[in-house]
Order: sequence, then C-alpha cells, then structure tokens
Amino acid sequence: MNPISSFQGDPQWYRTATFYEILVRGFYDANNDGTGDLPGVIAKLDYLQWLGVDCLWLLPFYQSPLRDGGYDISDFFTILPEYGQLADVVELVEEAHKRGIRVIADLVMNHTSDQHPWFLESRRDRTNPKADWYVWSDDDQRWPDARVIFVDTEKSNWAYDPVRGQYYWHRFFSHQPDLNFDNPEVAEAMLDVVRFWLDLGLDGFRLDAVPYLFERDGTNGENLIESHEYLKRMRKEVDNDFPGRVLLAEANQWPEDVVDYFGDGDECHMCFHFPVMPRLFMAIRREQRYPITEILGRTPAIPEGCQWGIFLRNHDELTLEMVTDDERDYMYKEYATDPRMKRNIGIARRLRPLVDNDRRVAELLHALLFSLPGSPILYYGDEIGMGDNIYLGDRDSVRTPMQWSPDRNAGFSRADFAQLYLPPLMDPVYGYQANNVEAQMRDPSSMLHWTKRMLEVRKRHPVFGTGSFEVISTENPSVLAYVRRECDDWTDGDAVLGVFNLSRLAQPAELPLQQYQGATPIELLGRVRFPRVGELPYFVTVAPYGFYWFQMVDQ
Amino acid sequence: MNETSTTRVGTGMALPDGLLALIPDYLAHQRWFSGSGTPELGSLHVVDAGELAVTAGGWHQLLWAIVSVDSPTGGEAPPPAALGEADEPDAADAAAAGSGDGPTGAPAARYQLLIGARPNGERAEFLNGHEPSVLGSVGDRYYYDATVDSEMSLAWLQVITESAVAADRVRPVTAEQSNTSLVYDDRLIAKIFRRLHEGPNPDIEVTEALAGVDFAHVAEPVAVWRSGATDLAFVQRFLVGGTEGWALALTSLRDLYSVRPDDPREAGGDFAHEASRLGRMTAEMHLAMAQAFGVDRDRFRTDGWPGVLDEVEEQLRAVVGAAYSGSAEHLLDQLRTVVDPGPAIRTHGDYHLGQVMRTDTGWFVLDFEGEPARGMAERTAFTSPFKDVTGMLRSLQYATHFALLEREQHEQEELSVLADVWERHNREAFLDGYFATPGILALLPSGPDDRAAVTLAFELQKALYELAYEQAYRPGWVAIPEAAIQRILAGSYGGPDG
Repeated sequence: MNPISSFQGDPQWYRTATFYEILVRGFYDANNDGTGDLPGVIAKLDYLQWLGVDCLWLLPFYQSPLRDGGYDISDFFTILPEYGQLADVVELVEEAHKRGIRVIADLVMNHTSDQHPWFLESRRDRTNPKADWYVWSDDDQRWPDARVIFVDTEKSNWAYDPVRGQYYWHRFFSHQPDLNFDNPEVAEAMLDVVRFWLDLGLDGFRLDAVPYLFERDGTNGENLIESHEYLKRMRKEVDNDFPGRVLLAEANQWPEDVVDYFGDGDECHMCFHFPVMPRLFMAIRREQRYPITEILGRTPAIPEGCQWGIFLRNHDELTLEMVTDDERDYMYKEYATDPRMKRNIGIARRLRPLVDNDRRVAELLHALLFSLPGSPILYYGDEIGMGDNIYLGDRDSVRTPMQWSPDRNAGFSRADFAQLYLPPLMDPVYGYQANNVEAQMRDPSSMLHWTKRMLEVRKRHPVFGTGSFEVISTENPSVLAYVRRECDDWTDGDAVLGVFNLSRLAQPAELPLQQYQGATPIELLGRVRFPRVGELPYFVTVAPYGFYWFQMVDQ
Repeated sequence: MNETSTTRVGTGMALPDGLLALIPDYLAHQRWFSGSGTPELGSLHVVDAGELAVTAGGWHQLLWAIVSVDSPTGGEAPPPAALGEADEPDAADAAAAGSGDGPTGAPAARYQLLIGARPNGERAEFLNGHEPSVLGSVGDRYYYDATVDSEMSLAWLQVITESAVAADRVRPVTAEQSNTSLVYDDRLIAKIFRRLHEGPNPDIEVTEALAGVDFAHVAEPVAVWRSGATDLAFVQRFLVGGTEGWALALTSLRDLYSVRPDDPREAGGDFAHEASRLGRMTAEMHLAMAQAFGVDRDRFRTDGWPGVLDEVEEQLRAVVGAAYSGSAEHLLDQLRTVVDPGPAIRTHGDYHLGQVMRTDTGWFVLDFEGEPARGMAERTAFTSPFKDVTGMLRSLQYATHFALLEREQHEQEELSVLADVWERHNREAFLDGYFATPGILALLPSGPDDRAAVTLAFELQKALYELAYEQAYRPGWVAIPEAAIQRILAGSYGGPDG
C-alpha cells in the first residue's frame, strides 16, 4: 500500500470547518456504469476546492447487499464494487488532503448486514467462535421497554433465525442484527475497523446509531452508560494514535440528552443538532423567531473543544419523530398538525422545494446555517438549489444525480439513460438542462457563486465556529438578531452581529445593543460602514427575507 | 437571583428650605399626579423625607420624600385613553382614580418623590427636553426629578438593595402612566410607585407568591423596597424584547385579512398555537394561585355566583328592556339552575391580551394589580377561574375588531366573516390548552354543562360592562360587545366543551 498522507493542522479544525455531505452513488460516475463512484468524487475535488468546503462526509461505501442504502454492511474492509476499490479511497484521501480538504466516512457500529460473514458464522450454531458476537435469546421477551424504531416495517426488536433456532436482537431492520458489545472481541473488532480506516488517512467518522450499542434489563436500551463508556474508550484510542481525527455522533435525541455524547470533552467531538433544523423552517413559515430562540435557549452548553453539527437538509426525511416527546415539546405537535407542514413529514424534500423555490428564503436559511452556533453541513446539490422528485419514493426523492451540466444525464454519467441508478431531474423548474453547475459557474448571480462567497466570508471569521452565542431580543417577533463573540469583552477579539428578517414583508426593528455602545457595525458582505451604536436602541430596517452580518468594530 | 427586601426607616428629616414650595407646580405636571390643577401649598405635607445618597464626591444629592396632598375629592379620574390606544375598557383609564381608598373622597393622597440636587450652574444635558422634571432652584442648588438622571437612578438601585444589586446602564420606560419605571442593563426593571397606598401592593404580593411556588411565567422578583406597611418600589427581571399578546394577535389578524385564506390555519401567521400555549399558561397560573393562596370551595357557590347572576340580570334588563322576557330571561333561568359553579381562587383579575407577553423563551403574565376600577378588597377577593378565562376570550374578540377597523370601509363587512372564523379558531385553541392542563379540572365545576354555564355568565357580565363603557366613551366600538351579547342570547356562542 502506498504511504499514507496524514493531514497536519489544527486538532480542533472541525470547530470552524464547513462540511459537505456526498452520496457517492449520486455524485459523479467515472466509469460510466450508471452509478456514481469514488473515482468520480476524486474527479470533482477541484470543484469542491473551488467551492470552499473543508471536509467531505461520504455516505457508507462498504460492501453491502444494499437493503438499507448501504447502512447494512457485510464487510467493513471492502469497498462496494460499484464504488471502486480500496486504492480509490486511498487516492481520494490523498488528493483531497492536497487540496486542503479532509474526508470523513459513515461508520455503522451498532449492527451489520445479515450477510456479513460474522453473522453467517454466528448463526450456524451456539458454539462457534462468533456464537456470542450477536445478541441471541431463546425467546423474544427480553427488553420490552426498548421501542421499535422502524415501526412501518418491523413489529418487534427480535427476529427468529431458523438456522440457529433462536431469536436475535435488531434495533433496525430485521436484516441488520445488532452486534453484542458486551463481548470484548466485538468491542475490539470494531476498534480494529476504526484503526484500519484511520490508518488509510481518513479524518474521522460519522458514527451511526450510537445510542443503541448496549442493552440492559429494566431499561429502554438507549443512551446507556455502557455505550458512553465504549465511545470514550474509542475516543481515547483515536486521540492516542490518530490525533486530529473527528468522531461525529448521530444521536437523534433531545439536545439535553445529546450533550451526554460529548462526555466531559472525552467522548465524541461533534454531535448533530437535530431539533434546530425543522424549527428554522417553522420560524420562516410563522414569520416569528420563537421556534429558533426557544430551542437554542434550551440547548445546554457543550464542553470545551466540542462542536455541534448543524444542517438544513440531509439524505433522510425531515426527521422529527426521533426528537419528539409530546409533553416536552409543543413545537412538534404544532409542526405535525400544521396542514402545510404535515405534507412534508415522512416525505423527503430538498431544501428548495421545501421553501417553494424562493431563492431569498434559501439564502436566508443558508445565512442562518452559516452563522448559528455549530459547524454547518451542506447537502450535495443544495449549493445550486437542486430540487427533488417525490415520485421516486420517499428517500430516493432527494438522492437524484448531481447536476453538473446541460449535457445528457446532467453530465453525471456517460452511460445509457436507462442504466442510471436514478433518473436526473428533468422538470421545467428544477431540471438539469437549466439548473446545473456549469451554467451557475458562468452566471455570477447564481446561487452557486453566492454560496461560495458566503463560505469565503465565513472562513475569514472563525468566531462563527468558536464564538459564544447571545440572542438580542427585540420587540418585533419577525426579526432574529444575535451576536457571536470571541471574548467576553466585545472590544477584544472578533464580534459579529447577525440580523435576520424571517418575514416576507420588510420589517423595522429596534435592537437593544446598548452594551455595544460605541461599536461601528461593518456589514460583512459589502464592507459598508453603518452608523455607530449609541445610547438608544439601534434601529434597523431589513428587506423581506433579508439579513445582515455586521462585524462590530471598536472605533 | 435571590430577592432582597429592604425597609426604609423614616428619618423624619426635613426637606431643604424652600424645596417644598417648588413641589406643587412639579406635581401638577406629572402624569401620575391624580389631582386636578396645582395643589395649594397649604394642602401639602411632608410625611417623611431623607437623603438616600450623595454622589460625585458629595456634590450631588439624592433626596427622597413622601408628601401627602389634601384633596376634597381624593383626586379625579383621568380621561379615558383615545380611540385606538387602549385595547379594552379595563385599562387604567377606566372610572375612578387610584384604588384602595374607597369610592368616595379620601382624606389625603400620598406620593413618593425622588429628587436630585446639583449645584447651581452645573450642566445637566439629561434634563433637555424634560422640562416638567425640573422643580427649580433654591439657594445654591437646583432640584429635579432624580429618575431622569442615570447617575441617580444607578445610585438608587444600589441603595435600596443595600448594594446587593448593581447595574451599568439605566433608561426610563416612557409608557408608564401611574408609576415610574426604569430599565437597568436591559436586565432589570424597577417600578417606582408614585401614588402610595397602605397595605401590600398586589402586584408584588402575587408575583412573589407565584414565584415562590415555582410558577415559571412571571418575571422573577429581584428586590422590594418598603416603608413600614407601604410598598415603595419593586424590581423584577426585565423581559427584554418581549411582545405583548395584543400586538401578536393583531399581527396574526393583519396577516389573515391581507392573505384571506379559506382556513385561518393556512395563514402563516396563525395565532392558534400561541393561543393554545396561553391557555395552558393560564391554567398553570390558576393552579399556582391555588397553591399559593388556597382554594375556597363554598364561597363562590353561596356568595359570588348569585352576585354575578344578579348583576347580569340587572344590566341585561336595562339593555334589552321589554325584550328581556324572551331569550334573555330563558338564559338567566338556565344559568340559575347551576348547582355547583365551582370553587373560588385568587385570580389575576384583569386578564387580557395586553397583560401577557411573549418572549424568546415563552409567555409571561404581567401586572397583578387587578382591575383599576375596583376597590382593593374586591381586587383581591377570591372568585371563579373563569373570570380570567373569559377576560382573555373577550380580548380575542376585541382584537379581531381592532384589526378590522384598520381596513378600508368597503372591505370590513366581507372581512368580518373571517374575523369571526379567527375568533372561534383561537378561542377554541385557548380553551383546549386550558382544559388539557393536568390538574385544572379540580379548580372548575365538575360538570361540563356547569362549566359552560359559568363561562357564559362571565362573558355576558364582561360584555355588558363593555357595552356601558363603549356607550359612554367610544360609541364607535359599541358594536363589539353588542355582537357578543347578541350571540350569547342567540345561543350560538360556543362554550367550552371541557
């Protein structure tokens, strides 16, 4: 194997990084077989460098029977042949690093495919070396408090295997048996998987479904202390042997519970902040900031060196059901019963269709994404305002091929149209003929150029990633204002004031900025100086769906 | 924040020579002075005075005084607010001035003064544009209302909290009419009572009691300042950037009238989710009131309820005259068949959309002073929780009409249909939120029909009161309570289905 290039740099790079989520099968097809692949991603690294993203997140690329989009892994050490081979991963990592881009990949720890050799061996009988690698039982009665996650398709967390004559535990699909982490061999084996990929130069993992690793009697099998301890063990090994790599946890929980996955700064480096995302949409629909300020108000502080991952959309449906708890949250009930929002739950929609293709709203949402506390994660195609195809079935609707050019197959592949894994969008509004990277690169007013510009500005102000967050409450509920500060005293270090109009109407607002008296706001995109902050509340007017990023300068 | 409570012990200090003579003119120009014209110097008496602080190395003085003003009438009612200013007749401009001293002439009204003193010739730019705040010059100093001077106001905060609380900045809040309010660091608000009354200020009493039982929707008390049995000032957390419920409801209505969807739920600015939360908060408030002040299971049945019905009957007869023997009499007969109108608790007493505030972390309840028109005993009396509930329901109807009046004449009839739909939609949401709150049913009549009847009675009582008020002060608004009364008599006003 070739020497590995490891990325040198700031060990806390993820706190100021922008992430870009790539569906490998949908990004670019280098060998023209109709499916995107890893060499395809390599081919587009120049584009990603030009765009200005710092880290790629690749959805699972391991060997898999693909009954769950690749989250059913049948070999952790082999690449799915359609995507390429191990050497392609090595090359991808090297080429990305050369361009200053890091790469992380999905890792499913909780379970494997039932086609994985470990399971095929385990199920044979009760005495083989892997007999205890999965969770077997004579009956299906144990752990009744553990909820069934895929309620549409599964009736129970237990499935009967006629070969072994026992039941096996599966929190997800029945073809995804849970690994038994109480078995030290399993615990070690998963650490081996982690080491293998980090050895190849990967910069970290998105850890899928971490709340469910362990199970114990009398519990609901979620967020158990043993799961946290295992993650801490993994973190320790990673820190020891692979400093500067990131562990990003996918824990679909309420913020108060997600913070547990940061430990005391000794567990996962990053966690997704799930609830803020639907609330951004809700706030715009209601033209009121309260959904946003309320969820951030109840988001606890996180340990030093940790970071939230925030996003507008991803490869799954607008996920709400995993963060709901009716008693704890009115917002979910309202969101679910709201006639216009109800249409969207359970159906995956892309960002642009969700906002009725209003470019101003899409820009506003990105401006929020780039300035709220956390590291933003872009979904491939959102930078050109890609649409969706709901007729493809719920999750496929947001996984259509990346639209590179007006050429056939959207420039994604030179295969026959009929071979494509999914058809590209061809409708008059979002079709690839008009909506593609090539056209938008030529058009200086495009969403693509706008996004690039915003990423540039964001990069110049690390305070967006590492700064504190303080809401500036104003009487006009349609206006959201907040300050990101590097230091307690705003005159030391960088301080940025964000003002956002969530309404379709122009709005005035008086911002109580008296503690910033004497500051000169300089608007970041145009560098225009605004009037100094005086004794009285600071008066601003904001255009429909408009926003300002002001640097507060002491002059 | 731990609350501090300090008592000002009278020092019996005399005011500086000549200062007293400057006070009558000063009083005459203050919005909180309830007398008419300039009082006679002879009718002024210094009840107590003292020096609170010296600042600027001794050059500036903060003086404090309570003065009483003899008056044959005990003060006059200020005129009602101009059309469009107040939301409801319950605003402080209703009926007799002050409160707590009884309906007929009181011996003397007492006022709290905070006076700053500076050497003659020293500039004070903060007085620019605040001419009524200047008392005048005597000897080598000039005197002015200390609450317009941030240096004095900051010193005052430290003094009354015995240095437990301090701030960096202060600004006056100009909306207040009967008190002087100061906002410190956008974090604290101090209400300085100008017209003083014996006995505990109900706003302080209730806020402290509710905070004490962990009711989360009041602005936490930070400090109380008293002299003997008289409450002088109250410092609370400031709900910075809050929006009044009234303003929020109007925004929703304006959105509805502009967009005109078939279903108000389709309107982006749908208020119902907030109305539901308001309902829940109202129920939690009642539960907290019950916990803090107790529940009376008999008084309302034997005393309060018959009183309400008698009042309603009397006013209804006056309004509908001969037609009373129709649906009105029938309704009253039905109401009189209620056996158990439920328990009585301490209520907010003046509950409407202007008394609730939406902040970034949720709804808050404000102003527990009770109805300004009523006497103190009445304001603190126990009554049915439905009094507050119906106060809010009436407020919802007023909001729809207020927003309607902003539209062009020719649109109003067409939009009034939508107004109706909005009202029912939000009324339902409010009541749903209220009744769904765990534990609230224990404070209400046990039968759903009885609950509906009691609600109806209070709504009618309120609407009749509003009718009299609008006829006297805002004839253009008479249609609002009229419509409500007609609906109630026609039996088409949905009661709660609790």
